[in-house]
Amino acid sequence: MARAAARDFSWRQFRAMLRVIRKGEQHLDSTGMGLGGDDAAEKRKGLWGRLGAGARKVAMGFLFLLLAAWFFMMGYMLGVTGVTPYLAFSLCVVCLVGLTVLTGLYQAVNILYFVRDLGYYLTLPVSATTVMWAKLVHFLGMSLLGDLIILPIGLGSLLAAGAAPGAWVAMALAFVLSAVAVDLALLIVCVPIMRFSRLAHDKDRFSRFFGGIMVVLALVIGVGSQFALRSDGLASLASGSGQLLSGGVPAVVMGILCPPSLLARPVVEGDALGALAGLLGMLACVAVYAVVLSAVARCWYLEGAQALQGAGGKRGRRVEGAELDQATRSRGAFAANLSRDWKTMVRVPVFFNQFFLSSLLMPLYFVVILVVSGAVGVSQATEAGMDPAALLEMARSLTALLAFDSPALAWCAVGVLVFGLLLGFSSYSFTMGVSRDGEDFFFIRGLPMDWRSYLAAKFVAPFALSTVPMLALIVAALVVLGVPAASGAYLILVYLGATISLGLLSLGLGALFPRLTWDNEAQLFKGGVSTLMFFAGLIVGAVVMVLPALVLLGCTLWGVFTAPVALGLALAIFVLECAVLAWWVLGPCARSLSRRER
Amino acid sequence: MIRIDHVSKSYDGGATNAVRDLTLEIQSGEIFGLLGPNGAGKSTLLNMLAGVLAPSSGTIELDGVNVATDPLAAKRNLCYVSDSPDHLLRLKGHEFLRFIADVYEVPDAVRGPRIASLAREYGMEGELDNQIQSYSHGMRQKMMIMGALLPDPAVWILDEPMTGLDPKASWLLKQSMRRHADAGKTVLFSTHVLDVAEKVVDRVGVIAHGELLFVGTVDEMREHFKSNGSLEEMFLELTSENSPFATEAE
Repeated sequence: MARAAARDFSWRQFRAMLRVIRKGEQHLDSTGMGLGGDDAAEKRKGLWGRLGAGARKVAMGFLFLLLAAWFFMMGYMLGVTGVTPYLAFSLCVVCLVGLTVLTGLYQAVNILYFVRDLGYYLTLPVSATTVMWAKLVHFLGMSLLGDLIILPIGLGSLLAAGAAPGAWVAMALAFVLSAVAVDLALLIVCVPIMRFSRLAHDKDRFSRFFGGIMVVLALVIGVGSQFALRSDGLASLASGSGQLLSGGVPAVVMGILCPPSLLARPVVEGDALGALAGLLGMLACVAVYAVVLSAVARCWYLEGAQALQGAGGKRGRRVEGAELDQATRSRGAFAANLSRDWKTMVRVPVFFNQFFLSSLLMPLYFVVILVVSGAVGVSQATEAGMDPAALLEMARSLTALLAFDSPALAWCAVGVLVFGLLLGFSSYSFTMGVSRDGEDFFFIRGLPMDWRSYLAAKFVAPFALSTVPMLALIVAALVVLGVPAASGAYLILVYLGATISLGLLSLGLGALFPRLTWDNEAQLFKGGVSTLMFFAGLIVGAVVMVLPALVLLGCTLWGVFTAPVALGLALAIFVLECAVLAWWVLGPCARSLSRRER
Repeated sequence: MIRIDHVSKSYDGGATNAVRDLTLEIQSGEIFGLLGPNGAGKSTLLNMLAGVLAPSSGTIELDGVNVATDPLAAKRNLCYVSDSPDHLLRLKGHEFLRFIADVYEVPDAVRGPRIASLAREYGMEGELDNQIQSYSHGMRQKMMIMGALLPDPAVWILDEPMTGLDPKASWLLKQSMRRHADAGKTVLFSTHVLDVAEKVVDRVGVIAHGELLFVGTVDEMREHFKSNGSLEEMFLELTSENSPFATEAE
């Protein structure tokens, strides 16, 4: 190993390693169930398979373009409202850094270290830098595709500003260099952590610990942005992002995490010479980080990887007699599936972080926002000589007017739908329900499985995590605000209709097009397909919300319906949608699973 | 009883067949060994019997139940050990067995004593509270076999079941297979460890290139080749490129 580590970077070995990592780690079935290198077994089934590889790429490209167009329009609107291209670019970079800080280290560790094949690589006479760079380039490629979806925000603002074509190229290059720099910075931190941290050597503990940190960070960033930025939405977010890069401690932090971001102004707003100089400066930053990473990797990457081999492994106690009987007592198919799915979700760190902690994030976020806003509001009201209790009473007197003959209730229902639409971002916990099983799915296929129970369990687990805590918060808010019981119940039903139909549609789509051949759980959440699926949740949300929303808007905006008719119709549509989707999931989708092959 | 009638399986729309027009009947009370080199089509055939893969053509019946038309009933009547023991790794041993028992609807009165007995026999008593991911390959294989034997269905289908087992567990499994067959039930297992097949099977089938080259008892095989050589030699002869059977299969 010392001999291997002493050898320097080999271009030939790098290309060989990269080829193996790309083809092997992404597609190889390391559990030995016959997928590895077997072209026949790699064939996908169903509509997705029949499309063929070329058509699949076209479909993926179309979805990517659709979402890119969405963000592009968002950037254009920012530009129209006066946000400069530099501020829009700053917003892109801040989003990029935020996403990378929140998820990147964990993803990098998963891809660079927690890979089954790594033990085999350690036996090969390949230098640390070669293995590291092969894995790094693989990681960068996967990351960049996902990161690029943010770029159209900046490009949209360029269109609004009527920028020259050169500015577009400059911004795109600046963004790519920024993204590469962020990932390199991340890995420079990651390698020493994995070498020297005992915690990092236990994958499960490390992942859970990191998941907890991510939740705290997300809360701090989310809540902080609420108070640091004012109420004019994205424009102030962009302005705030620009301020982050303009000086002081935030600029130093951004300069460390993403040095090219500090050179963005001349690239985006300067003349051709300034842009060229800025880009060269960015390139130099990336090169410096690459050299630093090479040095760090040469010292510690393989040592860190070696330290992981054979780490972990916690022993349980002996279970026998009455205790064993109790632990193995019988349950129905639904309960058995729910228990298995729940245990898998909680025990697999990636799933724990992505589904469990992420689901708790939104309710926690709202609780913190409410508590902080309430405290600030009470303090400000008291300072202004107002009685907070009187203010609450005033609010209650307004909410008491929410009745079925009032368009105000229809507006509230529209608000619930907008909230439901945003929940589309978390609908991937339903979409990934079947995909979570990976190769275990084919083991389950060999059992006398009731696929309706299987899918019902797949619905209940994420529903309990994502909807129930929010439901409790909504009920609490309705009670505090003194909304009439019938109107409150109506809003809760609309919320349930929106979330159930969203969950069912997402679950069904995930059952029809599952991703079962992953090698590492993190692969489910990284890369272009995952990013697209994440954003596609918005589209799924829009699909289920559109009809009820149109009916409600028909009352509030267009006056086509009276309030009682619109409210009744919207709820009836949700009931119908839920019924049809439940039939679809438990019928055709379940049958599809019972016939699914590798 | 297992009845396989003109079954073929293609992964590429018929361009090539992993299993080609295979017909075979395995009687109740019989241990049938399926021999073949790597890539012969053994796992594909066993996966079709277990209902994990659907035949491209032909029918499969387990004790008179068509696997394609009534997969649930067929699967309740069989247990299947695949060629990989890496399943449901995050469950603890007892959780895995409970899940299997729940899916097969094994009654409480039966499952408790049977789990305890299997754990004792296979030396896994002290491991049931550990996650399967912490087990060695052999222990995982034992857990899969325990899961398969727990519901005790009429038909056992085992793909390379001895792989990774220690000698005691291997001997135990062979004893279990014998007892199961002697009770009038069916055991079908694949292997390329020819000594194992020679000692355990009632009849043997040799598969290569997706086709069944020979079916009969070991003695019939010996007679067929008029040789006193070991089964391994016969097997190599059967599946070699120069074999008259292999030539016909081309």
